[in-house]
Amino acid sequence: MTARVVHYLNQFFAGLGGEDKAGTEPGAKPGAVGPGRKLQELLGADAQIVATVYCGDDYAAAERGAPAAIVQLVAKERPDLLILGPAFTSGRYGVACALVAAAAQRAGISAIASLHPDNPGLDDAGTAAVIASGASVREMGPSLERIAQAARKRIRGEPLTEADGRIGKTPRKNVLAKDRSASRGVNLLLARMAGDKERTEVPVPRFDRITPAPPVDPAKTRVALLTEGGLVPNGNPDRLESARATRWLRYAIGGKTALAPGEHMSVHGGFSTVWANQDPHRMLPLDVAREMEKEGAIGELFGEYFVTTGNGTTVPNARRFGVEWAAELRRAGVQAAVLTAT
Amino acid sequence: MDGLISHPVHRVSLGAETRYAGGRLTVDERDAHAAFRDAALAGVRVTWASPGDRVRIIKVLDAVEPRTKGPGPDGGGIFPGFLGPVPPQAGGATHVLTGVALLTAGYLPRAQEGLIDMSGPGAALSPFGSTHNLVVEFTPAPGASWESVDVALRKGLLTLANRIAQSALGHSRSDHPPIRPSAASLPRIGAITNLQTQGTFKDVFVYGQSFAREAPRLIDPGDLFAGAVVSGQYGHPALKNPTYVHQNNPVATELLERDGKDLTFAGVIISPEPVDQAAKERISTQAAALCAELEMDGVVLTKEGGGNADADVALKMDALEALGIASVGLFAEMGGPDGTAPPLVVPPDRATGMVSTGNYDEIVMLPEMERALGGETVDVLTAPATASLTAPTAVIYCSLSPMGAGRLTCREVAQ
Repeated sequence: MTARVVHYLNQFFAGLGGEDKAGTEPGAKPGAVGPGRKLQELLGADAQIVATVYCGDDYAAAERGAPAAIVQLVAKERPDLLILGPAFTSGRYGVACALVAAAAQRAGISAIASLHPDNPGLDDAGTAAVIASGASVREMGPSLERIAQAARKRIRGEPLTEADGRIGKTPRKNVLAKDRSASRGVNLLLARMAGDKERTEVPVPRFDRITPAPPVDPAKTRVALLTEGGLVPNGNPDRLESARATRWLRYAIGGKTALAPGEHMSVHGGFSTVWANQDPHRMLPLDVAREMEKEGAIGELFGEYFVTTGNGTTVPNARRFGVEWAAELRRAGVQAAVLTAT
Repeated sequence: MDGLISHPVHRVSLGAETRYAGGRLTVDERDAHAAFRDAALAGVRVTWASPGDRVRIIKVLDAVEPRTKGPGPDGGGIFPGFLGPVPPQAGGATHVLTGVALLTAGYLPRAQEGLIDMSGPGAALSPFGSTHNLVVEFTPAPGASWESVDVALRKGLLTLANRIAQSALGHSRSDHPPIRPSAASLPRIGAITNLQTQGTFKDVFVYGQSFAREAPRLIDPGDLFAGAVVSGQYGHPALKNPTYVHQNNPVATELLERDGKDLTFAGVIISPEPVDQAAKERISTQAAALCAELEMDGVVLTKEGGGNADADVALKMDALEALGIASVGLFAEMGGPDGTAPPLVVPPDRATGMVSTGNYDEIVMLPEMERALGGETVDVLTAPATASLTAPTAVIYCSLSPMGAGRLTCREVAQ
């Protein structure tokens, strides 16, 4: 029996256009498109790409409901397998592939994404398998070969491992051990003291270490104000979460010299917000930034501030916000930002 | 250290007289009413819930094991600072009714709801799914402050635990020999037990006083077993350490049982868990220095609570490592519902020996129960108390026991 495969691509690889088409809404085309044609050749007779689902990079990364909408289009094709990418090191494309793959798995659709190990989307893929791609489109050929091989294996019902180029997380599941945790703790300590120094039940998470960018000349720089302090217009009209945020918001500050008390509030659930509400500049220093702009100490203040709530946020969501903020700011010509944290 | 004398309980009931004989424990309800007689309480109701019963206990507050050291209201010095005097008098073994827990269950503000299923898949996830539980439900007195209700519940539960355990006084001893000096060549292993001390309803008491402003200190394990540490901490049901678990401090118990076999017991240190980062760092340095003073070669560390409490373990592990003392910390994982997010918020930098007590976020399915104790609705899930539930492991009382009382852990499962 021939397996039904759906292939997911961004607007560029689906042939719709470049950055100017990054806002394209999700859509579907019958059969294989672009790199999907080569992929179909490599899959052979056992699998058929019945449709290609696509979405613009900006739309997929920034619209909250995008992954669910894309999965809906995929599900219509009743596929046995969803293949996403290769997205190489592209940030927004990689994050989109990962989020869609994770959502597909949750909906019961088997998914395999193709990302470079440095792609920021890697941690967003949930339980979906991620197969290593090359770093750039120059390595399209070998990347497609690897994912076709993994897809054939998955179709045969075999698990995918490191030997197949699998990268990223293997899900960790709750199980009952033979001994209780206190006994295992003493056993582990004695084993490490006896020489088994690396033994552990929990792999040490390696968080990214960020090297700060080289200094800029502030007098010639466009500067943005950002905060994870949950500062929103009074009444929280866009319903920013107070904890475990899954999104971020942007608000205009163009032309404003200060934040009037009573017009803003913090919805952050992790600290006492009394002082921030009394004077919102404690969270977002717009007053001082405007003075510095006037004095010429900074070139120009960016006309919007970005905000989320940093309280119990998962690392994959926090990383995604960072990727999206960096992309937005770069596009707006911002060279430096002040990010206040609580 | 004073010894322990265990009296196993196999069958339980309510009856005309509180008595213990032949493994059977009967509790007179009037003893419960007397223990909880307080201006802050209008009344209490007691019910047994036993393993296998189709019962769900919700809004569980504290759990206490029946223990005493002698007759009278001070129980011969049991629960020093609450019932017995401070400093505790040396001498006299602690009598324990094993297989039994006394639980308070009901609404308290700022308490995060935890539940226990006495049958089905949830029962294996809580240490209290396999004990006979005397559940105390309560009605606050009109106008009573919640703080005074909390105080009354704590005092009542300890009083009842002493009263019930006194039914075993005079019964033949079982054997729990006191510790003896062991061979000097074995590694000296100690324990650090962090106590979550973060204000009212999130506090832990030592010898009857809040431990919030204290420094790390050595504590006699005999005092632990006599109830010197009492919980008033109602956050993080899966990650909390009720009084029962302190009475049975699992790492201390493990070290004492293995003393002279493959290690030398080097002591238990209790430490506060402050909220402020500078205080966390200062207290971690102090605790590590204390371990060095006690010539410990290795230390097993435990915590209470999630997120910021990881830092209290991680900082101490790194401080110990810097002094050349080996360490292992017990951590719960917060890996998201699918178990793929980074498991820890604040991992240690240098020390890497970690035990997993399970993933907080993994979803469990709990079947419908016949009856519920502790309330009508599971508010955190907006569901009737007896309904079938789809819930994160985080709502099951003590399921990820940070002090190591449970068997839950995480393993990688390739798909």
